[in-house]
Amino acid sequence: MIVAEQKPLDEIRRMLGPYERVLIVGCGTCMTVCNAGGEREVSFLHSALRLAQAKSGDGAHAFSEYTVKRQCDPEFLDALAEKVGDVDAVLSLGCGIGVQAIAERLANVPVVPGVNTSFMGMAKELGVWDERCAACGDCRLEETGGICAITRCTKAILNGPCAGTKNGKCEANKDMDCGWILIYKRLEQLRQLDKMRRYYPARNFRAIPRPRRIVVNKGSIANAGEGNA
Amino acid sequence: MHSAVRDEFHKSRADRFEKSPDHSLMPPCQDACPLHMDVREYVDLVAQGKIMEALQTIRSGNPFPSICAYVCTHPCEEACRRCQVDKPIAVRALKRFAVEFGGDRVIRAEAQTTRQEKVAVVGSGPAGMACAHYLRKLGYPVTIFEAHSELGGMLRTGIPQYRLPRKVLDTEVERLTRMGVEIRTNTRVASLELLFDLGYKAIFITIGAHQGLRLGVEGEESPGVIDGATFLREVSLGLKPSLGSKVGVVGGGNVAIDAARTAARLGASNVKIIYRRSRQEMPADAAEIELALEEGIGIMFLVAPTRIGREKGELAVTCVRMELGEPDARGRRQPVPIKDSEFNENFDTLITAIGQAPQTPANFRIRMGRGSTIQVDPVTLTTNRVGVFAGGDAVTGPATVTEALAAGRLAASRIDDYLQHRYPLTGAGRQVLASDLLPKTVEMIRKTSRLEPPILAPEKRAKDFEPVELVYDWEVAVNEARRCLRCGVGAEILFQDKCATCLMCLRVCPYHVPYLDASGTIQIPADQCLACGICVAECPARAIVLRKPYDRRQITEELEHIFRSGTEPKLNRLVIGFCCQYGLFGTGSLAGLWKRAKAGIRILPVLCVAKVEAEHMLRAFEMGAEGVFIAGCGSQCAREDTASWVSQRVAKVKKTLAEIGLEPERLQTFFPDSTGVDPATELDRFSEQISGLHLATVMKKEVAR
Repeated sequence: MIVAEQKPLDEIRRMLGPYERVLIVGCGTCMTVCNAGGEREVSFLHSALRLAQAKSGDGAHAFSEYTVKRQCDPEFLDALAEKVGDVDAVLSLGCGIGVQAIAERLANVPVVPGVNTSFMGMAKELGVWDERCAACGDCRLEETGGICAITRCTKAILNGPCAGTKNGKCEANKDMDCGWILIYKRLEQLRQLDKMRRYYPARNFRAIPRPRRIVVNKGSIANAGEGNA
Repeated sequence: MHSAVRDEFHKSRADRFEKSPDHSLMPPCQDACPLHMDVREYVDLVAQGKIMEALQTIRSGNPFPSICAYVCTHPCEEACRRCQVDKPIAVRALKRFAVEFGGDRVIRAEAQTTRQEKVAVVGSGPAGMACAHYLRKLGYPVTIFEAHSELGGMLRTGIPQYRLPRKVLDTEVERLTRMGVEIRTNTRVASLELLFDLGYKAIFITIGAHQGLRLGVEGEESPGVIDGATFLREVSLGLKPSLGSKVGVVGGGNVAIDAARTAARLGASNVKIIYRRSRQEMPADAAEIELALEEGIGIMFLVAPTRIGREKGELAVTCVRMELGEPDARGRRQPVPIKDSEFNENFDTLITAIGQAPQTPANFRIRMGRGSTIQVDPVTLTTNRVGVFAGGDAVTGPATVTEALAAGRLAASRIDDYLQHRYPLTGAGRQVLASDLLPKTVEMIRKTSRLEPPILAPEKRAKDFEPVELVYDWEVAVNEARRCLRCGVGAEILFQDKCATCLMCLRVCPYHVPYLDASGTIQIPADQCLACGICVAECPARAIVLRKPYDRRQITEELEHIFRSGTEPKLNRLVIGFCCQYGLFGTGSLAGLWKRAKAGIRILPVLCVAKVEAEHMLRAFEMGAEGVFIAGCGSQCAREDTASWVSQRVAKVKKTLAEIGLEPERLQTFFPDSTGVDPATELDRFSEQISGLHLATVMKKEVAR
């Protein structure tokens, strides 16, 4: 799941400065799950914006709100398109993808991001999310016992641990587990320690050509050239 | 134009939330009640201190609430799911409390005659009175025929005064008269034809079951042997039968207990109940048995009389000891005499109370069934004769007051169907919550002991016919009512389309109720949820609501009300307080807040502060509040983590306030505990602090609704 954090209120207000009529659009999927931009957060932000405006007395913004099921699929945005007829801007509480999807869908309406998209992660417990995948496009989790060396090791090294590990913790952050110690312990438990003895050739560190595109149905996109398939 | 867009969005959201239907399930208590009284509702209203509303609710389902408040056998309490945790809610005692404190006993009689067809009610017991009441409400002219000199049937002639004071019954009878029911006492109906000839279009026969069953032993006709129903009737009608000092009562039902306790009150010094089974099988109400024992009445279990003789002016009763054999079809173990175990007991009077049967005049020409009861169609209550309906003990054999009231109410609507030529529609009932609480849920419920109303000390009561049970005082009643688990009004995922299956509800529930089903869908089983509202306030998709619309509307509506009323004097700074409704009342931990609240402080009662969402707090500021506080009932709360949930939301709102440039101290929480400061003092300090701050807002006029 994609995890994000809502931007500070000040920043949001600064971005919205020029626009009078603003539609706050929530996203009903990842942003709801990570408490950054679901219907509740939309409504809370809506209240906070009105209150801030009343407090500072600057400008007469009019806010409205709407939450779609998922901002990253254009079909969900059709209903949104009908509702933006008279707004000056959309404040999207979707992740970076949602913001862009709305921007692509609404040619004439400026879209402003309300959250900082942080990482792809998992819920550790109530209200705590941890990054787990860097989307490197070259998954080696089989070799490392299901623990990602790229995200769990601060240095993202493939043949760890480095010399900086101390008492199972990372030298960059003494409170954080060393990813490679975790990998070692897990492989030990799985009786696969032989994998630790292997040498893994370096990944292809050539810059990933962005944006990436995956085409499952060949020939379904007419205008090639937008992405690097 | 833009405001139209906003309004539309607001409206659609509000509609989805607030106009969504009532999905609450019928709780087991209501299902168990023959009258299907809304027990959960009135118990909760008592808990909130809304005694008048509680009585209104009781009245809407019960024609004679004060009678039931005294004598109901409360099947609701047996069905109460609190039994799984500790003890059931004391429903009947709470009803008594509501009846005593909820306002006038006599309400204005509102019944106009809008129908032509006259209806005769034969018999004035609870079934007859209820039927007359409801027929009158439907606009029919009704006449009650009663063989005795006063109305009430078994309520008057069967139930002793110490259980149902006569003035209570008289008040209810008075109400019937005021409604315009024609009453003919001392009138025994001899023939139904005559009633039809007099122009009655329908007849409801509810003559009760007054005929005592016979023991069937030798010597039963001896002087000094009397049947329980006759004995109680004579005492009730003012006779004082001379009993002597040694009185035996045969039987184990409520009539036997009533007869024994009445005998003790008439001066019999040695009263013994003879029952052929053991205490476990005794059909009498357990609490009544306990009271009888306290009053010094002896009970001989596993004993039955076999012969009654007379020697030296006393009754010599030969008894035999019994043991319990195989269970019968109803599951009750049958008593079997033990060989050669006869013994003699001497009594001055022997009261036989082993059951009663109806005594329907043969010339009514009505088909009878088992135990000389009247046979009726259970749905329409019709007898074999056209236009003749029957109900109450005359149909069921001896049963409870509540069952009789229910029969009377049903009869009224069936007679209405008949007279209006309608097919009787039974209608599908509401879904009943029938299952038990799961052990993992039970484990998380805080145990609280059941609070009983005070009763007269045994030495005071056994001498006269004053009511034995006294009324709760307010604090005890409220605390007892707060024990209700509010079965069936819990949370539901009303908007499945919005649910992101984020598992928030599963993680926050204090009772471990929500679960993931095999398909990966989150389920909140209605039969387990206890309606604390924490998941409702936390769900990031706002997909969860409480099943009863009132509970979910309240906070927003009250806030709107404060906003709209706008009557605050300009000089006073508006402070809005979300306060636990339960704690605010009477002797609750927050009661002082009402009294000490200065001008400008608006208290918004909520049904547990765990239901106050972060948006509500922010909204209060939007409405022009200079300060907002949240006061929970503290240690009185049914849940331990209420305060921590509130604090989390408060922390979030404080952060936002700081970002906006408002002082975070404008938002405060008070959670009084037994040692802490009086919340009223805290409030004083808080409002002082607020008045020391700069005026925060010119918001009121700015804020768009």
